[in-house]
Amino acid sequence: MRKRFWQAAFCVLGLAAFVSGCSKEAKKPNSVPDLSGIWLGKPIQSLSLSDPMAARPGTEGDIPYTPWALQQMKAERPATGPNATFENTTDPALKYADPDGYPRASIHPMRFKIVQTPAAVYQLWEYDKSWREISLNKPHSQVPDISWFGESVGKWEGDTLVVDSIGFKDSTWLDPIGHPHTENLHMIERIQRVDPETLVFDFAFDDPKAYTKPWSGQLTFKLQTDGIMTENIYTISDELKFRQRFLNEKPSIPIRTGQQ
Amino acid sequence: MNSKCQTRGLLAGVFVIATLTAIPLFAHHGGTSLYDMSKQVTVNGTVTEFLWINPHVEITVDAHDEKGLLRHWLFEESSPPVLVNHGWNRKSLAAGDAIKVTFNPSRKGTYVGRMVKLIKADGTELK
Repeated sequence: MRKRFWQAAFCVLGLAAFVSGCSKEAKKPNSVPDLSGIWLGKPIQSLSLSDPMAARPGTEGDIPYTPWALQQMKAERPATGPNATFENTTDPALKYADPDGYPRASIHPMRFKIVQTPAAVYQLWEYDKSWREISLNKPHSQVPDISWFGESVGKWEGDTLVVDSIGFKDSTWLDPIGHPHTENLHMIERIQRVDPETLVFDFAFDDPKAYTKPWSGQLTFKLQTDGIMTENIYTISDELKFRQRFLNEKPSIPIRTGQQ
Repeated sequence: MNSKCQTRGLLAGVFVIATLTAIPLFAHHGGTSLYDMSKQVTVNGTVTEFLWINPHVEITVDAHDEKGLLRHWLFEESSPPVLVNHGWNRKSLAAGDAIKVTFNPSRKGTYVGRMVKLIKADGTELK
């Protein structure tokens, strides 16, 4: 009898703890802003706040280049800006069909979806069908991998999601005009849903080899009609086929045949 | 007007209609280095191929020039995900469709262009 009493008591307590835990989990999504949805950004070419369409790369005035970074800017041949060249571009996303990396992935004129859970926020891009995880309330790895999209951890500060990212592969460009960075790039983002239709990402880029002091960028996105996400996966075969048809260039390697 | 005349009417004519400030909405391909964004040309022709592909949708069009010579045009549109947001889908065009297409011409003078908009025979406009 006594044994049964304690068994019943443990069951009740266990159930209460389980329900309590569930209750806390259920409240979490409501205690922070909801960033989820499908979002589309403005068409820009540069993260420079004073020169978003990249009319004067290298001399924008708001980007504190080191001599090394300025040299990089002068050496690259982007496919946009005042000296745009497509045929001889050095843009790694075009020349090698490399992933855009981050934050450039968000500059494409394509949509991304945000999926939000209590443990992480995910960005899912149509372009290259790529994705990024922002782990919440966790420290960075002791030795983060060097990767296209970096390693991102975040926490909520009031209504703002503050994201700390490191471990970026240095072969990516920050934006289509070619702002460079090193593997030591440390990026802080402050993400806010400023109104139901608008999401703002404020960036601070800290990379002492490339920039003499941290500098700021901003991307703004508008909420899109919820619908089915499409796919735009871009391969080197697609690129060479495009060049063959539009520029009459002979593919340097075998390419996929057929229309699709 | 008989159908032959209608077809010839649709196929006739190439003319420069406007100049525009370049806005590199999709610098990914083409863009200012391949196309003269300050010019727009309009051609009436017939779709021979509509490729709903990456990195960019391609449309080939046969059209007669002002001398009556048949020219084979190749046009670059934006990417499928971008076009979906503007009402396109993979069946928006088909070989044989008569269209009026406005585009930024190639800087090299070749028969390629960056599409600005097109109007189908039923009046449907796609951008």
